Amino acid sequence: MSKRHTSTCFVRFDQDLCAGYGSCLRVCPTRAIRVKNKKAARIVEQCIGCGECIRSCREGAVTAATEGPGVLKKDHIAIALVSPVLYAQFPGVMPKDVLLGLRHMGFQHTIDMSYFLEMFQFATEEFISRNRKSQSAPWPLISPVCPVVVRLIAFQFPNLLPNVLPVLRPVALMAREVKSRLIPEYTENGEEVVLYYLNPCPTKKDSACLPSRKRPVRTEIALGINDIYPELVKHVDQIEAADDIPFYQTRFEYETCATANASMWGMSGGEIADMDIERSLAVSGMEETISYLEKIEMGLFQDIEYIEFRTCREGCLGGVLTAIDKYLAKGAVQKMIKRYGLGRRLHRENILRMYEKGEFQTEKKPSKLTSLFGAHKKALSLDSMQKIEKIMDLIKGTDCTACGAPDCRTFAEDVVRGESALKECLFVGAQTKKKA
Amino acid sequence: MSKFKKSFHIKGRDFIRAGEASISVQNLLKSMDFDPRLTRRIAICGYESEMNVVMHGGDGTLSIEVDTDRLILEVTDDGPGIDDIDLAMQAGFSTANDDHREMGFGAGMGLPNMKKNSDQIQVESKKNQETVVRMIFFVPEGEETH
Repeated sequence: MSKRHTSTCFVRFDQDLCAGYGSCLRVCPTRAIRVKNKKAARIVEQCIGCGECIRSCREGAVTAATEGPGVLKKDHIAIALVSPVLYAQFPGVMPKDVLLGLRHMGFQHTIDMSYFLEMFQFATEEFISRNRKSQSAPWPLISPVCPVVVRLIAFQFPNLLPNVLPVLRPVALMAREVKSRLIPEYTENGEEVVLYYLNPCPTKKDSACLPSRKRPVRTEIALGINDIYPELVKHVDQIEAADDIPFYQTRFEYETCATANASMWGMSGGEIADMDIERSLAVSGMEETISYLEKIEMGLFQDIEYIEFRTCREGCLGGVLTAIDKYLAKGAVQKMIKRYGLGRRLHRENILRMYEKGEFQTEKKPSKLTSLFGAHKKALSLDSMQKIEKIMDLIKGTDCTACGAPDCRTFAEDVVRGESALKECLFVGAQTKKKA
Repeated sequence: MSKFKKSFHIKGRDFIRAGEASISVQNLLKSMDFDPRLTRRIAICGYESEMNVVMHGGDGTLSIEVDTDRLILEVTDDGPGIDDIDLAMQAGFSTANDDHREMGFGAGMGLPNMKKNSDQIQVESKKNQETVVRMIFFVPEGEETH
């Protein structure tokens, strides 16, 4: 990480490009950003990786903490773990050809995540049908698929953690399979293997912001779909134009993608569309997600069994690291479904056998999620609450953001915590000048 | 240490913004150190109280008082008052009209739900007068606020 980048979590701020407009301030759902000295945007330890700040910045000063495609080298075995959102970036191209493009580009293996999403789908149906009788978890259950939603709940809605579906997330199922079956074949021979997660959103923390003992070894790398797209598009074009498609050996079923509808997963509603749950909903967008979570907190929607939340509008197709517009991508997916229909590759009986063995049980209990993503700021005392109210009476309360905080209440809290000075408020500053 | 109290306005018959006062109460409590199970109960009571005002009352106020060992949630409105409080506390009793039911409200679970989720509840009201509902929540020992 170069010097001009301030240390961050899921995103980086470029000090040279930042113009201090603060458009990122207002869109941050956890109020993690402050603008100091009109130049530098600084982020505190509250980032949940939603990418709203990246979307809002006209200067391009905010970027995801992902690696560029240049990291792909010939000295190791490269395995691409592919989000199905990638397929939707290539209208009219079959998913298997997109995967061939990745092979062409230099990846030795491609892992189709939609295979594991399908697995997750069966396990979820099973959990919900059992929960109707056992009532072991509260309704509505919340989909754990979107990592930002899980982090948002841990951070801002901890009392909804018991509602998060306790089934292993598709990405965890995929990683487990690859690590237990594919990787050992190479490491036994002393070969180096690197996993590349091709994602539509910033899901990996910048290693520079982690304490050194927690820094991952360089065997797992996050790449944005937009990082890899310009290069991949050339390879996919070549494959589409070729008379005989180059042959790559695939040993596992999930190394290719035979169904056309896999990219449906990227769409809002794609997770529940083919699921056997009657009372389910799909909600997308950050504002909408927060509003629904607030309502669930107040006791609403207990008649719904399952809610698919995606903080990006239109679902993962609207992810901030995608290459083509979400509506064009959605159109491409719908056309694919129309042409080829819906298809599943897995058999329910096989998945049920795995379910019985407890292979979908998640070890991330609510307390674990809280320690991973919960609010780590010191809770405010009664005394501090009174001080905040006094400051709120002094300042104008227009949420002008000139002080560099996202709103007046957050500014007042910063003052009480000793992180900002009261005179940084323009209104208070002007009053003091007048008196002098 | 003295108490902390804050009030939020509730606009009668405004179904679009219904729930905002109780969300504000939640946001306030979340910056303090309370057990999520306690704040969840307050959220449910807040919403039920607020909906009662929006459906039946004129304008009203939702206030939260934080003390070291207890939290008091109080909702007041300027009428039309409750005719028979004992009857209103019964599950399933409702004076909601067809419009309310069409929107999915009026199951007669408001006050019973508030009673169930609070440690103590006091309802003061007479027909054609204001209604005051006070709900008390005790902070579990060892978790008092300072």
